[in-house]
Amino acid sequence: MATISATSSIRFCSSLKLSSSTTLQVNGRTSTVKVTHAGWKSKSFPSLRCTGFRVSCSAKPETVQKVCEIVKKQLALPADSELTPDSKFAALGADSLDTVEIVMGLEEEFDINVEEDNSQNITTVQEAADLIEELISKKSGA
Amino acid sequence: MFCKRGFSMHTTVKSFCSSSYLTTIPLPSKRETHMWYITPDELKDASLIDQYLNVLSPSEKENVIRLPGDKLQRSAILARTLVRTTLARYTNSVVSPSLFKFRKNNFGKPEVDWQCDKNWKPPPLHFNLSHTSSLIACGVTVDMPIGIDVEEKQRKTRNNLSSLARRFFTLDEVDYLNTISNPEIQRQEFIKLWTLKEAYVKALGKGFSAAPFNTFTIRFRGTSRLSLQKCGHSNSEESEIIVETLAEPKNVTTNWRFALLELASSHYVAICVENKRIKGVENDPPLLKVWKTVPFIKDELLSETDSVRTISSFV
Repeated sequence: MATISATSSIRFCSSLKLSSSTTLQVNGRTSTVKVTHAGWKSKSFPSLRCTGFRVSCSAKPETVQKVCEIVKKQLALPADSELTPDSKFAALGADSLDTVEIVMGLEEEFDINVEEDNSQNITTVQEAADLIEELISKKSGA
Repeated sequence: MFCKRGFSMHTTVKSFCSSSYLTTIPLPSKRETHMWYITPDELKDASLIDQYLNVLSPSEKENVIRLPGDKLQRSAILARTLVRTTLARYTNSVVSPSLFKFRKNNFGKPEVDWQCDKNWKPPPLHFNLSHTSSLIACGVTVDMPIGIDVEEKQRKTRNNLSSLARRFFTLDEVDYLNTISNPEIQRQEFIKLWTLKEAYVKALGKGFSAAPFNTFTIRFRGTSRLSLQKCGHSNSEESEIIVETLAEPKNVTTNWRFALLELASSHYVAICVENKRIKGVENDPPLLKVWKTVPFIKDELLSETDSVRTISSFV
């Protein structure tokens, strides 16, 4: 499976101060930033945004994009929230009912039918997109 | 009845937060189940969240940073902090929260990956985590697989209940829901059934493929059915929650015990533990203890208070 790693950029708000123990490692094909200590100096809790993503060849970007839209809608996330293909539904605030409702939303959007034991197994955006494409191709192939 | 175990103190264990204070708790005896919970909306202090962030592992921190928005990041930090601090309490100060490592079993269920040497035998702790945006809970036992699930009582679903029930529940469960005429009570019973089924699958620890929701029925045994319709909630002294697999309906499995609680009048919590029969020991139902915690700051034992209403206790 081919993967492309885009450069990860992490932007911090001005009130975030990184301690000297932060390390930036660049090795081979990937660059990672390991934050070992971070402190918030202000009363409000600033958001950290990571714009890095990995693209795998398993599902079309449009499919991934549509999945993200449906997930955001179900979980009432702001439209400009940045989700990544490996975003976990649970980490985005989905409880178990949300997960099945996301899957039902995807079924409606893509006109597919997800088997029951798969509905609760889908835990990330990528997994959902991959399953959708698999079911679509099975449908057209049948 | 406590099962006291002695642990040799591991003198070279590093303490991460020098200012941390975490009450140590004796291990749950084999006849107890413990639950610790956090309410994220009450924990917004940035310096406290900062302290919690430093309890997390580097990869957990990385995962937090990638989440969109303050609320989700805070929730993720609190969830990891809850698991780490809760487990640390039961190691008699031997393992500090930041030192825990985790792994997943073959089916993806998280478990502790004890880093220990010959001098210290780690306690056989089982744990399970559940979160909603407004409550995060961690259940702990010794030697009993556990699953817990939390849902907001007022939770609304995008799809209507009967289509969800028809799709995911068994015929018996759908029939049961259909006997309830009051739509609000029907919705509550749907949520209760959902959390119980979820807790069961999580306790089994084999993933949802091993026990799809429509392959087992959860029912309330006893006179609770009638009392449910009359007064809107089951009588805890009379009802017992049981699970039947469709494959063997007559063979009601007593390998699993359930408890259902209403927490702070706002959430339903379902807990499922394995019923391990120990030779020569009375097979009493586990005693449930519930704490509300602000890690390092405050713990409140709430099990015997109004905050924790037992809808159905372990039997």
